[in-house]
Amino acid sequence: MNLPLTDPSLLAQDIPESLSARLRSSGQAVCIRFSHQGDLLASGTSKGGISIFDLATNGCARKIKGHTPNRTVQSLSWSADDRYLLSSSIDWKIILWDLQDGSRVRVCNLGAPVYIAELHPSNRFQCVAALYEYRPVLVDLEDEAHPKQHPLPNLPMRAPNEQEDAAKADAKHFTTVAAFTPTGSHVVTGTTKGWLNIISTTTRETIYSLRLCSKPILLIRLSASGRDLLVNASDTIIRTIKLPDLTSPNLKPDSINLEVEHKFQDVVNRLSWNHVAFSSNADHVMASTLMNHDIYIWERGHGSLVKILEGPKEELGAVEWHPSKPLVAATGVESGKIFIWTINTPQRWSALAPDFVEVEENEEYVEHEDEFDIHPIEELKRKRLDQEDEEVDVLTVDEEQMQREKMGNMRNKDDEFRMPVLLDMGESDSEDEIVAIGTGQFRRKSTAREESEFLDGEVEDGDAVETNGHNGNKRRREE
Amino acid sequence: MTLTGHKRGVSAVKFSPDGRWIASCSADCTIKIWDAVTGALAHTLEGHLAGINCISWSPDSKYLASGSDDKLIRLWDVQRGKCMPTPLTGHHNYVFSLAFSPKGNMLVSGSYDEAVFLWDVRTARLMRSLPAHSDPVSGVDFVRDGTLAASCSSDGLIRIWDTGTGQCLKTLVHEDNAAVTSVRFSPNGKFVLAATLDSCVRLWDYVEGRCVKTYQGHQNEKFSLNAGFGVEDGKIVLWDVSSKEVLQTLSGHSGVVLGVDVGLDDQTIVTCGVDKTIKIWKKQPTAAMNGHHEPALPQQASRDDHGVAEHELAQNGTAENGVGENGAVPHEQS
Repeated sequence: MNLPLTDPSLLAQDIPESLSARLRSSGQAVCIRFSHQGDLLASGTSKGGISIFDLATNGCARKIKGHTPNRTVQSLSWSADDRYLLSSSIDWKIILWDLQDGSRVRVCNLGAPVYIAELHPSNRFQCVAALYEYRPVLVDLEDEAHPKQHPLPNLPMRAPNEQEDAAKADAKHFTTVAAFTPTGSHVVTGTTKGWLNIISTTTRETIYSLRLCSKPILLIRLSASGRDLLVNASDTIIRTIKLPDLTSPNLKPDSINLEVEHKFQDVVNRLSWNHVAFSSNADHVMASTLMNHDIYIWERGHGSLVKILEGPKEELGAVEWHPSKPLVAATGVESGKIFIWTINTPQRWSALAPDFVEVEENEEYVEHEDEFDIHPIEELKRKRLDQEDEEVDVLTVDEEQMQREKMGNMRNKDDEFRMPVLLDMGESDSEDEIVAIGTGQFRRKSTAREESEFLDGEVEDGDAVETNGHNGNKRRREE
Repeated sequence: MTLTGHKRGVSAVKFSPDGRWIASCSADCTIKIWDAVTGALAHTLEGHLAGINCISWSPDSKYLASGSDDKLIRLWDVQRGKCMPTPLTGHHNYVFSLAFSPKGNMLVSGSYDEAVFLWDVRTARLMRSLPAHSDPVSGVDFVRDGTLAASCSSDGLIRIWDTGTGQCLKTLVHEDNAAVTSVRFSPNGKFVLAATLDSCVRLWDYVEGRCVKTYQGHQNEKFSLNAGFGVEDGKIVLWDVSSKEVLQTLSGHSGVVLGVDVGLDDQTIVTCGVDKTIKIWKKQPTAAMNGHHEPALPQQASRDDHGVAEHELAQNGTAENGVGENGAVPHEQS
């Protein structure tokens, strides 16, 4: 509802400018993911904990624990209604969480460390996972006791004339990353040997393969429209690829021919990229860099570098772009904090004094004909009251506004999910964890304590309320 | 129905968003939770050290926030009737107005220290301090999607704030500069309704910064009902939003009416006053003022979807006492 009052020049900005917030929970954040609505940010830590941050308050909204302690959380994925969260860890498990009460809806052991797991865009009980030195699997979690795992092919589809020496080439060929298309009809996977495979979800067969490079593919991301593909490979090149409409019924697998649209790389410094992401409308591509503190942002029209975001003096790991706003989040590799970049919003002084208008230059003031005429006050008042004859509508909400509030999803009010606000979170806010041990004396919270907390979490079935109950007397030092 | 139990004037009364409870707070330092249907007293919440000025329900009806003359904001677990261990500390003077954000994650508060504070409810931490006004902040409210907050003050200004950036986006001021005593967003968030001490209630289009309606029930009343009551005290006035006509006046309180709220079904109004009582008013299909009542029905009925609002209902009363509606309470204290 703030849009009509916001400075249009601010709305026109689509790239964040400066570091605006640091989020911190217990543990070192390694992977992050915005909810579809964009009001929450989930983060997984290197110790197996998961924190949900509220971006309105920049505070922690929920902590959930259930993965094996000290095993890194590898990936997070939100369900379409933002109520469920899928997490995967190198402890072989994937867990589906219900954020209503922080409970575990499904736990599934996939038999191998998980690289990445992603929920089906519309079915929260289906997900795809890429596993370490194993075939990627499509997991059906519908049946709680017996989740079904359907293996997907690792190997690319080859033309018949390439079949001969395929056996040698296919040795040690595994999938490193898998992602659903926005309709969930297909899965796009990347392999250790630089192949990109498109696999149909229904037949579980590869319908198209393309070799991008000879090095492993690190990350594949799809834009919200599903027509753009972003691939980060270990050959220091980020590629964008245009996809055909995979859902169209008259699409023939043979007719697919993907071509690389842009290649982004740093030819001079030979930087390699830790993590990549599309902007909300896929007009921009950003990447965090290995051994470097900056985030690079390119625009896709001409493929030119438009911005280098500077911020903390440390290397950045996972980067994420907010689903609707010019807001970027990234995790610090050393500190494990989450950093947020946004646009600068200067105060407009005319907003404070309604009689004033901000002008670029001095203007000659031209007096209106009757501007300073004197009328009897009573008459003026009566006239003004008489003019208030329009019909006002204080109830109807604009369609546009409803759309914004619902983020265009086909949800109605009844099944809209709102995460409950927990008031007994304890001191789990965005600052460093510092404990008051006496008047004016503080010490940093010991890591031993932190670990014991995670062990508690394991025993208590990840009940964030219980495990945090005893933290209530901690104090945060004001900066 | 009349609910009695408070020992001193009742400063505010609010229906819970689920419609089950009525909360009231009073200068006797207590909050009382009443069953909205039966009127039975469910809980008495004690903990504040001075009179309580304002209360606000969280959207899930589980928690209640209260602001008091002891400069604290306390959060209460209504089901258990308990106070949350950490109060929200930071205001330098009486906390005078409060509102929960629609998601329940933030609180906005206005105080006699002239500042508007935004709080993170979960950690009881002050998020932003807005240097809002040059006089006590008398009213605050959130818009329906939580992106804007409004504040008003006895300095005569109404300010609209962006809750995300903490910046002032708009200032509304009427030329008479009369002290503003309460501000509310309309259910669709396009207008703000503000009560001022010049016996007017104004509806503003805050985007254009224009006053679209002026409701002046108080004067009407003076002429028609003055006989029954000494001054303007003790009456509640309902206006039609568009025609500005007074639809109905309810009288029954024997003192100034301080707080008013509309129930979920739009058929119930609850009011409270310095006469220590809370009154629940039910709309009767065959009201005496039927002629005026009819046109209001569609508007009132459609409010169901939007929860509670008092856009066509503003309390009358203290206009000539020189202090804001709730202002009687801190003054009683001193």
